[in-house]
Amino acid sequence: MYIYDQFDHTITRERVAEFSQQVVRRLIGELSEDQFRPLRLMNGLYLQLHAYMLRVAVPYGTLSSKQLHKLADIAKKYDRDYAHFTTRQNLQYNWIKLEQVPDLLAELASVEMHANQTSGNCIRNVTADQFAGVAGDEVEDPRIISEVIRQWSTFHPEFSFLPRKFKFALTGAAKDRAAIQFHDIGIQIVKNDAGEIGYAIYVGGGMGRTPVVAPLIKPFVARSELLSYLEACLRVYNLHGRRDNMYKARIKILVRDLGPAEYARQVEEMWPMTRAAGVDVPASEVARIEAFFVPPVYEKIAEPVASFVAAKAKSSAFARWVETNVHPHKAAGYGAVTISLKPIGGIPGDASSAQMHAIADLADAYSLGEVRVTHVQNVVLPNVKQTDLFAVWQKLGEIGFADGNIGLVTDIIACPGLDYCSLANARSIPVAQKLSTWFGDLDRQHNIGPLQIKISGCINACGHHHAGHIGILGVDKAGVEFYQITLGGAGDEKASIGQLLGPGFAGEDIVGAVDKVVNTYLDLRQSPAETFIEAYRRVGPTPFKESLYGRR
Amino acid sequence: MAQVKSQTKVLTANRLRNGETVYYTPAGTWSLYVTEAKVSTTPEEAEALAKIGADAYAANQVIDVAVIDVAPGSEVKPTHIREVIRATGPTVRTDLNKPVAPPQR
Ligand code: SF4
Repeated sequence: MYIYDQFDHTITRERVAEFSQQVVRRLIGELSEDQFRPLRLMNGLYLQLHAYMLRVAVPYGTLSSKQLHKLADIAKKYDRDYAHFTTRQNLQYNWIKLEQVPDLLAELASVEMHANQTSGNCIRNVTADQFAGVAGDEVEDPRIISEVIRQWSTFHPEFSFLPRKFKFALTGAAKDRAAIQFHDIGIQIVKNDAGEIGYAIYVGGGMGRTPVVAPLIKPFVARSELLSYLEACLRVYNLHGRRDNMYKARIKILVRDLGPAEYARQVEEMWPMTRAAGVDVPASEVARIEAFFVPPVYEKIAEPVASFVAAKAKSSAFARWVETNVHPHKAAGYGAVTISLKPIGGIPGDASSAQMHAIADLADAYSLGEVRVTHVQNVVLPNVKQTDLFAVWQKLGEIGFADGNIGLVTDIIACPGLDYCSLANARSIPVAQKLSTWFGDLDRQHNIGPLQIKISGCINACGHHHAGHIGILGVDKAGVEFYQITLGGAGDEKASIGQLLGPGFAGEDIVGAVDKVVNTYLDLRQSPAETFIEAYRRVGPTPFKESLYGRR
Repeated sequence: MAQVKSQTKVLTANRLRNGETVYYTPAGTWSLYVTEAKVSTTPEEAEALAKIGADAYAANQVIDVAVIDVAPGSEVKPTHIREVIRATGPTVRTDLNKPVAPPQR
């Protein structure tokens, strides 16, 4: 893991001191809310329905056990004993008191954490593949360049007041687990024909009111020139982005309006200037950062691991959990465990401080002290020996997180929605809970197979509904919560935007409607091997529309 | 059918210091409980509430000030689901909810 150097410590400490002063000045009335609001947003502090909410940055989803312990302590001390993992791989506290924020931030800083760049019109906290560094299929560990981007973008004066917020995501593998094409800039690490590592740059993706799958702007940028290229991408946006209209201010609108080819041309034109400005990081500095991500020394373990094979044979429940929740590891004899924060009927992404402490303890005992957060609101123990998997699974059972449902119909993304969020039109979490309960039977889940349901409480799409195989969007229909269904979205390397099926459903009817969609799929699939999204792409929306609304 | 606009309204906000959801009371204080809110029944009274809210905002006591609809009747009850949730808490964590009225003393 990256460890702060003196510079990181200093800027974090200085930022905490600065914001603490601003909080004091706000509390004694020296700053008005109009003056303070942009300052607090720069520090990840929002006002929600019931209290302030603090969004803590988890850079590229990587946490140490020590940090997770601290996050749990903070949940107990400053919040109501729980926290929420978000689709940006971050963590949110829901019940924060303004007067306690300075102390809270100081505690975060003590474990090299902060809430910078989790809000405001700046380059936001970078997200990446949760299996970075351990996935067998990756070209390069995306955390190296994510960290380079983090350092470059932190408090970058030119990019602290962009037309709108700006999000990066990175994947080191062809299999996209970070939804890069739904980001302002998505980076895929690739190898060219000469075997050199470089970066494919997608620009102008996003969700929200206008969902766009990012076009590929540049198939290969060398590592030595990456930052100057990215800076050119940002500068073209900063010059031409629509500051006059919030709804048109994201880079996706600029790229769409200019056309990807013209946008790419302007970036090429800008590039020599940013190159000449010396933005690119010297190889020695990248090497310094890379050294933090050198893989740990794994034990040499021959597969198959007899005790692991025996445990699976003895417990079919364990074997099933392994099937869904353990991802192949590049080191033989290891696995990457996804801990489902989606217990049946539970709140997606919520964990109590006791559960967070328990996960941190498991990371220490079994995963070399490392934890990851996924954009699907789950948590990963990246380095677990296969011999330990059974013990980990049992211990997860003790804290209610042993569900073997990763990638299945109950592994639902849900934004906070109207239960917490001041922008919401409708509740998301209760819909997720009802669907989870309805589809809870594990045999049935396995029969249905891979299926991603994603729920947002408003068009801002924090719940990624556009990228859901089944997307659910909460709307306000004359003061009543309604839910629209979209089908066919996907956030992987075959990214697509879900299409609206028809009129929305009332809260009490939404589960029945989703059940009909699922049953329609089960009826029409060619075989159990044909997944929901494959079947949808083969047959299109018509059979699903007919099952929901009848023939018209 | 067009919605009939409610004439009964209360003033709500979040306390600056800690973000708590609060309601303006007839005693001129801010209460955690919606049932203690001062209810306006005419447009003029609603305007007076809005003015009080603006002043409290300017005085840095509260933020996110709004005059919201409540149902007419003896118990003050917000009409919109958003305000129902604000008045008590998340519907998915009822263990953390507050009552609509203060506990009996
Ligand atoms: S999608 Fe809307 S309701 Fe959900 S968290 Fe985002 S802003 Fe709030």
